[in-house]
Amino acid sequence: MSSKRTLFLIEVAIFAAMALLLDILPFLSFKVWAQGGSVSFAMIPIFIVAFRWGLKGGLLAGLLWGVLQLLFGPTIFVPLQGFLDYIVAFTVLGLAGIFAGPIQKATKEGKAGTTLSYILLGTLLGSTLRFLAHFTGGIVFFGEYAPEGQPVWLYSLIYNGSYMLPGFLISAVIVYFLFYKQPRTLLNAV
Amino acid sequence: MNNSMIIGQYVPGNSLIHRLDPRTKITIIFFFVFIVFFANNLVSYTILTVFALSSMFISRVPIRFILKGLTPVWFLIVFTFILHLFVTKEGTVFFDLYLFQFYTGGLIQGIAISMRFFLLILMTSMLTLTTTPIEITDAIEDMLHPLKKVKFPVHELALMMSISLRFIPTLMQETDKISKAQASRGVDFRTGPIKERAKAVVPLLVPLFVSAFKRAEELAMAMEARGYQGGEGRTKLRELKIEKRDILVYLLFACAIAGLFLTRNY
Repeated sequence: MSSKRTLFLIEVAIFAAMALLLDILPFLSFKVWAQGGSVSFAMIPIFIVAFRWGLKGGLLAGLLWGVLQLLFGPTIFVPLQGFLDYIVAFTVLGLAGIFAGPIQKATKEGKAGTTLSYILLGTLLGSTLRFLAHFTGGIVFFGEYAPEGQPVWLYSLIYNGSYMLPGFLISAVIVYFLFYKQPRTLLNAV
Repeated sequence: MNNSMIIGQYVPGNSLIHRLDPRTKITIIFFFVFIVFFANNLVSYTILTVFALSSMFISRVPIRFILKGLTPVWFLIVFTFILHLFVTKEGTVFFDLYLFQFYTGGLIQGIAISMRFFLLILMTSMLTLTTTPIEITDAIEDMLHPLKKVKFPVHELALMMSISLRFIPTLMQETDKISKAQASRGVDFRTGPIKERAKAVVPLLVPLFVSAFKRAEELAMAMEARGYQGGEGRTKLRELKIEKRDILVYLLFACAIAGLFLTRNY
């Protein structure tokens, strides 16, 4: 039996790689905007790590995913926007991990309804925070470039909301589905 | 999808830019992203443009790769240019089109801002075009070394990055294999409404995740069997070294910065 620590590091790393992969595979994502931002299944591995290993695992996996995205050709217009859009936005997804305990417990006891509601809460929390990071990033970026007097927050809201909302719904449904169908693969950590 | 598919944007080469220490490249680009915002007249913009374009030509990365990197943003560049052209009303009218008057101020500002976009994207893509992700990881690990003093897990993060990068091609093959296997059973990933396609992905994700867990466990076992126990005293296969060429490039960049601050308007 290998120690939990090494397994933790590796699992987080592999799932971050999976997140990047699901994001860049063309047939698995729906591009909404040419400038970045697509509806994909990429958040699912991060949520799974978060629900499996808790807060620390989720945050680490998110951070790694963000750095990977940075390495594979980032779109940075303003330093602060780059930081928000890549480092902060992906890391906060991992905060979904605060619900890891209750989800594991409910799944073990076979309470489908409770599991579902905690998964919804977790994915909603992660997605909302990520949306807020992109939303702020958009305002920072437009504040720097757009002429005065434009409702920048509205533009940022529409732009980022258009892929975050469907992304959240897809992730929540599929994560629940995975926990429901494959509880044994998703438990046993923590 | 095939094995030799290049992940990310790296274009293999042997130019001066390719051979620079990744730490040099990261440092210069980091500062470049900041100083672009200080350029505010023709001369200062020219200095930065010359610096960026010459690094582009020295790297001998084919132009089409650079243009490919620019595709997501050219629309934004044009859009901000037009926006400034229409909205900024400073300077004299140089073109009158019944309803709209175009001002020289708007033209100049539009060009300046588009230029700033262009330079930022060009320089950040120079890094990813000429440096492999693993080199960047090594460089970041080295640059963050001082953070170890405050118990920041630099080594662990770098190790995880390397593992992630190593596994991207593997997972890609795996995904390819599973999606073909499922497609042969009649699953359709490519067409239909979002809801249907999301449903179709579940039979792809389940085996993918299960095999990822298995791989993780095997790797953990293999590492422990070989005595892995953390960062202390671990040696490296690839050592980073600052060469003369790095110092030369630093000096050139310092000259560019000095030129910028001497010529910009205050």
